[in-house]
Amino acid sequence: MQLSPDQAILFTLGGIPINATIGYTWIVMALLTGTSMLLTRSLRPDVPPSRWRTTLEVIVQGIQGQIDEISVRRDRRLLYFTGTLFLFIVTSNLLMVVPGFRPPTASLSTTAALALSVLVAVPIFGIGNQGLGGYLRTWIQPSVIMLPFNIIGEFSRGISLAIRLYGNIMSGAVIAGILLGVAPFFFPVVMDMLGLLTGLIQAYIFAILATVYISSATAPPSDIPQTKKDAS
Amino acid sequence: MSIDWITVAAQILNFLVLVWLLKRFLYRPILDGIDAREKEIAERMGEAARIRAVAEAAEADYQAQVASLRAGREGTLEAARKAAEAERDALLAEARERLAREQAERAVQRVEEARRYRAELQRDGAAALLSLTRKALKDLADETLEARIVAHASDRLAAMADDLRKAAGDSLQAIALTHEPLSQAARERLGNELAQLIPGITVTFRSEPAQAPGLVLRLGGAQVEWTVDSYIDGLDALLAAADHQRARPRG
Repeated sequence: MQLSPDQAILFTLGGIPINATIGYTWIVMALLTGTSMLLTRSLRPDVPPSRWRTTLEVIVQGIQGQIDEISVRRDRRLLYFTGTLFLFIVTSNLLMVVPGFRPPTASLSTTAALALSVLVAVPIFGIGNQGLGGYLRTWIQPSVIMLPFNIIGEFSRGISLAIRLYGNIMSGAVIAGILLGVAPFFFPVVMDMLGLLTGLIQAYIFAILATVYISSATAPPSDIPQTKKDAS
Repeated sequence: MSIDWITVAAQILNFLVLVWLLKRFLYRPILDGIDAREKEIAERMGEAARIRAVAEAAEADYQAQVASLRAGREGTLEAARKAAEAERDALLAEARERLAREQAERAVQRVEEARRYRAELQRDGAAALLSLTRKALKDLADETLEARIVAHASDRLAAMADDLRKAAGDSLQAIALTHEPLSQAARERLGNELAQLIPGITVTFRSEPAQAPGLVLRLGGAQVEWTVDSYIDGLDALLAAADHQRARPRG
């Protein structure tokens, strides 16, 4: 039994082996992009919105609303980043019910890549909003003594993000695989349904935590929201 | 469980590409559409607010006009009443003037009718008087009025001889006008009388129905009349006196 889809090679492209993680990631990317292009290709302001366009607007505005609740200032770049995180994770997790599909989020490489992206995005957003000096000053808050702890906390956030998402998704898939061997007709269905719920929640938590981290770096210390959400 | 760092790098790259793709094909069209719709809604609401303001202004103007009309209604009615009274007074004055004019015209007509009536009465009375006179002369003396007038005139010619000669001058023509043709005897008598007064005179006899009964003798530039006109004028005076007495109120 392969625990990680990284080890499964789907095909080779120009001599480069493409594993299941990357292959299924492309499928998710193609699905998201294709659906977006299909629904927004004839989008005009003078035409009343269709049912699908309204669905997309609800999703996008829902993400924007969640970001607005956490972030002090409205920043569309944050929407692009965390919204894409959420949509990618939730689509990958929901496609878990498709027979033969192995969600990329069940790969530690994927979750580590997403965590690294968040880890890099935090200083980028922070420097972009506060400048280099303003961002570096947050590392010595409330005093210089806290500098090593802030550095450790910064990296531990990325690690915890990666491990949390990977553990939840991978464990769901592993448990489903084990139960398939024990009781092949009943438990897998229940576990898949539970996996759908868990995948949705994990996507939400990952995106919210990323938003919180980036917002805390972009806002002055006095404006950092006190809401801390943790799903561990 | 292990991390394949090549896969990690590839997934980071995939994620960044996905961010760009979704930004290009999902977020931007959707958010731009929402912004455009919000802008359009804001414009429409602004337009609606402007139209509402215009409508409210029009309503206020209308209400003001209604209030003004209500306030001015009494004044308008008073003005209309005064105008009606003035029109009525003008019509009454015109009617009175027309009535006075018609009364004056009727009075003139009555005077004219009275005059015509009197003239007619005079003419008829004169005709009746002459007829009675002729009948009386005929019945009582077997003579005509003209013959009697010629006889009377012949008796008077001698007294007027000097005046007649002076009036005749060198003229030896005389004209005798009568209402009815004279008898031959009357002609001869008048001719003889005039020949005795003015020798060589020739008398021409003419009769004209318009001539008053009697005799008109034209001699040179003079004219001598023996007609009933003076008597008829006396009859007119008698009738006028009778009218005046009849019109006087009885005490």
